[in-house]
Amino acid sequence: MKPAPTISSAFLEPGGQSLPAPLLELRKQRGTALVDMPLPTRKTENWKYSSRHLKLTDELASTLPATGKDGYSLSIPGYRVVFHNGVMIPEASDFPDLDGIRIQRFADLDDDEAAGLAERLDNTLDTRAVQMARLNSARFEDGLYIQLDKEAVLDQPLFIVHEVTGTASGSAYPRIYVDAARHSQITVVEEYLSSGEEPVMVDTVTEFVLADGAQVTNVRLVMEGENVQHIGATGVRQAANSRFESHCVGFGGPLRRHDLQVRLEGEGGECKLNGVVVTQGKQHYDNHTSIEHVAAHCDSEETYRNIAADESHAVFNGRIHIHEDAQKSNANMNNKNLLLSTGAEIDTKPELEIYADDVKCAHGATIGQLDRISLFYLVSRGIGRREANTLLTMAFINELVEQIPVQAVKDAAQLRLNEFFDQTFQEA
Amino acid sequence: MLSIKNLHASVEGEEILKGINLEIKAGEVHAIMGPNGSGKSTLSQVLAGNETFEVTQGEISLNGENLLDLETEERAREGIFLAFQYPVEIPGVSNLQFLRTAVNAMRTHRGETEMNAAEFMKLAKEVSKQVDLDPAFLKRGVNEGFSGGEKKRNEILQALLLQPKLAILDETDSGLDIDALQVVSKGVNALRAEDRAILMVTHYQRLLNHIVPDHVHVLAGGRIVKSGGRELALELEERGYGWLGVKDEEATPSAAS
Ligand SMILES: Nc1ncnc2c1ncn2[C@@H]1O[C@H](COP(=O)(O)OP(=O)(O)OP(=O)(O)O)[C@@H](O)[C@H]1O
Ligand SMILES: [Mg+2]
Repeated sequence: MKPAPTISSAFLEPGGQSLPAPLLELRKQRGTALVDMPLPTRKTENWKYSSRHLKLTDELASTLPATGKDGYSLSIPGYRVVFHNGVMIPEASDFPDLDGIRIQRFADLDDDEAAGLAERLDNTLDTRAVQMARLNSARFEDGLYIQLDKEAVLDQPLFIVHEVTGTASGSAYPRIYVDAARHSQITVVEEYLSSGEEPVMVDTVTEFVLADGAQVTNVRLVMEGENVQHIGATGVRQAANSRFESHCVGFGGPLRRHDLQVRLEGEGGECKLNGVVVTQGKQHYDNHTSIEHVAAHCDSEETYRNIAADESHAVFNGRIHIHEDAQKSNANMNNKNLLLSTGAEIDTKPELEIYADDVKCAHGATIGQLDRISLFYLVSRGIGRREANTLLTMAFINELVEQIPVQAVKDAAQLRLNEFFDQTFQEA
Repeated sequence: MLSIKNLHASVEGEEILKGINLEIKAGEVHAIMGPNGSGKSTLSQVLAGNETFEVTQGEISLNGENLLDLETEERAREGIFLAFQYPVEIPGVSNLQFLRTAVNAMRTHRGETEMNAAEFMKLAKEVSKQVDLDPAFLKRGVNEGFSGGEKKRNEILQALLLQPKLAILDETDSGLDIDALQVVSKGVNALRAEDRAILMVTHYQRLLNHIVPDHVHVLAGGRIVKSGGRELALELEERGYGWLGVKDEEATPSAAS
């Protein structure tokens, strides 16, 4: 048997050095451990549909150039942090200095804080299941460490914009760590954008740790271009009575992969995971979510919708693991899929592992097409095909779009959706 | 206005309409009656352009224009309106959004400016009252969870908003209580106009007391086997379809010619 391929040594070169010593040390350790990490192949269960889209060429191993101030002409209301090619740009960022809330880039941490963070990085993730997050840990150039003291409330969403420029080939490894103390509250928006045309890989990791009663909302908007492979992992750990909400809206590309892992570790924890994925052309999008009910009396609710047009391919894998002691767990998972063309493909798989006996766990998955009778009803009122198809497709995701708690994200998503509808639907 | 000549249509290779001839002039009201499964809804759907049904022979023209060349939405814009026997539920699309989109599609077609949300809301509320439908129904999904009678009123609401040239009402009276029948009849009568024609499919003479037709046709086995004035409806009510030599969809050839 041929040994599984391992990562090219080009990816193991140390990156930029402008990090505090404890983080440099951590990165080095993680890099050493990476040497013989097998790369995902078709035989890797959690990458079986996506490994062939993962193209780790040596050119991608280069660090992307740090660019100047232009290129992020985003009009974002409120607090924002801009990352460019994986490095934070202070001049483009604007965020508050509030009591009890510290938002710091990794490069600015003092050695003590950095040592504390180094101990914690990766501790929300099952890194065996998210191989590519390990590459991030070995290569991050910068990052954002957000700490909320107890009862601190960030009064507006914090936008974190990750932009990569494909003027040259390379990769970026943005990293966010959010530590939310008891009863603190924050909404973090991650927006992934790109410019340029050369192949780029974004390998990003975001972690949230919620103490008792903390409330965190994470909105994730993935809109990079056709030159970008996007691989992301989000890890969440929740203590008692905390609430985590995730709203992911993603548009396809050559490779889009998101692993979302939530651990409900204290009684009374709740999580709600919403996802909307839209693919067209030959795009590929793969969502793998995992919810671990570790403690009793927790609720999880997950709703994902995929829309695949043309010859695109969407994958949803939803794992729910209810541990032996997690009695009275309430888990609800629902995945509906819409194929807009006969050439499109959607693969959906629930993975339930239930080891407690007194639980409620419901799951459902459907794959369908637009309803012809509904379409006929609409056009019989004089509504054009393009508009009728658009109405029906929006109906499929409306409920989730409506729930996005940040208007600017809703608007940006709707604009991109409208482009998609214009490209996908024709008049008769 | 509408001229149907020797229309044949089939579904999945099975012929349902077997040579329909019908002339409807502007200002007229025609009623079509006939046994279950005789092809009344098929005829209605074919007129609206449902592609489930394949037209294998014959012609349909609306004011001289060949209807069969037009897509469903173009037919609607030319003034064909079908009130469905079974109105379709579309969760996730609000009734208001649906109605406004439809009205604006028509307005755009006629070269008029679109109505904005506020203007349309005002209009929709007025017309809702006309069909005794609580404006709250505008906020719900299209027909979503509407009762049978509410769905039918929503169909008439659409007809009133869209002001078609030819309104085809497929059993819009079925499943209505006595009051609702009054309301719907009033709505339909409000549609009656010199330049508009109405084709009503019904099983019941009682509707025809409210909306008096100029012509009544019996459709059986895919053909119109008898036509007459409104007194034909009374006769059918009394005698059933048997005397026409028709018991069910298996109409005999002699009855059809
Ligand atoms: N989509 C379809 N596929 C197969 N058969 C169909 C389809 N639509 C209609 N038919 C058949 O065509 C025939 C005529 O049906 P249609 O609905 O036109 O009858 P109708 O006269 O409207 O009856 P009713 O009074 O019960 O409404 C029936 O035998 C019906 O089963
Ligand atoms: Mg019928």
